[in-house]
Amino acid sequence: MGRKILTVDDSKTIRMIVARAFKKYDLEILEAQNGVEGLAVATREKPDLIILDYTMPIMDGFEMLTKLKSDPELKPIPVIMLTAEAGRENVMKIAKQGVRDYLIKPFKEELIIERVARVIDLKPRGESVSKVRRYDDALDILVVDDKPAIVEQIAGGLKETNWKVEGSSTTSQAIERCARKVPDIVLISLSLPENGAFTLFQMLRAGARTKIIPVFGLSVKTAAEDQARATQVGFTGIVTKPIDFEDVKIKITRALGLDTSFKYFSHKDGLLHLKLPAAFTPSVSNDIVTNLRNQLTEAVESGFDKMLIDMSAVNNADITLIKLGLSSLQLCNELGLKAALIGSPAVTKECRNYEETKDWRFVATAEEALTLMQSGTAVAA
Amino acid sequence: MIDDLEELVKAAVGEVFSTMLAQQIEPEPPNSPVVNGDATIAGSVGFIGNLTGIVYLYLPQGFAVRLTEKLLGISPQSVESEELVNDSVGELTNMVVGHLKSRLSDRGRSCVMTIPSIVRGTNFCIEPVSSTIRRLLTFRSHEHQVVVEILMRPDTSS
Repeated sequence: MGRKILTVDDSKTIRMIVARAFKKYDLEILEAQNGVEGLAVATREKPDLIILDYTMPIMDGFEMLTKLKSDPELKPIPVIMLTAEAGRENVMKIAKQGVRDYLIKPFKEELIIERVARVIDLKPRGESVSKVRRYDDALDILVVDDKPAIVEQIAGGLKETNWKVEGSSTTSQAIERCARKVPDIVLISLSLPENGAFTLFQMLRAGARTKIIPVFGLSVKTAAEDQARATQVGFTGIVTKPIDFEDVKIKITRALGLDTSFKYFSHKDGLLHLKLPAAFTPSVSNDIVTNLRNQLTEAVESGFDKMLIDMSAVNNADITLIKLGLSSLQLCNELGLKAALIGSPAVTKECRNYEETKDWRFVATAEEALTLMQSGTAVAA
Repeated sequence: MIDDLEELVKAAVGEVFSTMLAQQIEPEPPNSPVVNGDATIAGSVGFIGNLTGIVYLYLPQGFAVRLTEKLLGISPQSVESEELVNDSVGELTNMVVGHLKSRLSDRGRSCVMTIPSIVRGTNFCIEPVSSTIRRLLTFRSHEHQVVVEILMRPDTSS
């Protein structure tokens, strides 16, 4: 279940209308009949949003709002007032209490959905279990920089991916672009004139469709003040110039939760195959570790009972490689998978020198590994 | 007294029916006869402050059930209880009075609304004390008559 909305109204009719309006979204709708119940539910459930009536018995909406805003734990919960009383005086009174928005009864369902979507991200029911996006899926990246060379450089640096890079040179161009088509990622130069990066960031965060887009600040390494400010206001991260594109790919992958497992794991000849790339870095290792347990568990559930850990492309048995090898073998052991190792000559040789790896037995090919595992010979002591 | 009170009420009823129910409702000519004798549900909401009074919304019972179905988007079988119909009629009355109150509030006539209440019956009428101002407005929504009655204490503020 996704987010929670608490609707506080003495009318069952209104509570039912609100519940019906959000039926198609991945939301849990909580209900309370008055302010006292509303505060109790808010304290217990910590909803992401409260839709609050004004006139109610026992405790009215104004009193509940006052109590809510004086409680440090409940204060941050955004509140939308839903009231039949829309006079100027009333609206001013409500606004002073720090409500996010207010809606006047009578109201159309579409209107309440629109107002709620300005505050929280509404996902259609079922979307949350949809397929996770992969690293090789097409992505739309917007770079907002007044220097076209930077946009070109980023496009060039990411050309091996399926990610499309588009540039905007001003904040107004960027806003127009986001209104036309919402990008997956935004990179904004922190040195845009007139505080442009921060203004644009606030505008993106205020938009219902753009508020969840990961936004990275682009900055030279020495602009520490800008970077600190960006981090403080909530930028997803900082990309420093000169740009390290491997780092950018990792940051984007993490920000969007992209599935990278297919880069390392495959199923071949009845084996779960883990192939380490030649450029085996700590980031790659982290990427593999993140996917390791899931991949092995799925393999076991699908009937696989053997795993091949292929280090043949790696030329250096450093601590990162050894740690990954140890955790992979331990997990195989836990799950009852037989494991075999393929190593390059350098890795095979270096592993004999370490206490933790001196008993690892490497083979040269997958066929050899399969024979070894079928014979029941242990890979590592 | 509010000179255009009747126009404000007509606008409020029209707005609530069109927005919440997508239902057409038209004011009947002044002094149209009130159909009586059918089972009726009356929602009432009071207001107290610079202006003090009460508004009743009378609906034929069968029509009130159909409006409840429409308001909540549920099937006739799902309107399982009188309580749900009462609540819906109460809420419709609340919205009409809220709309009216907002217009009055913008003119400096602030007041506080009461919680809706419901009366069910046949052939009943409200008899205000003689000093109370009474306005009766009738509306037609398809074949059904809807009646709005406003009772107000005479305005002493001006």
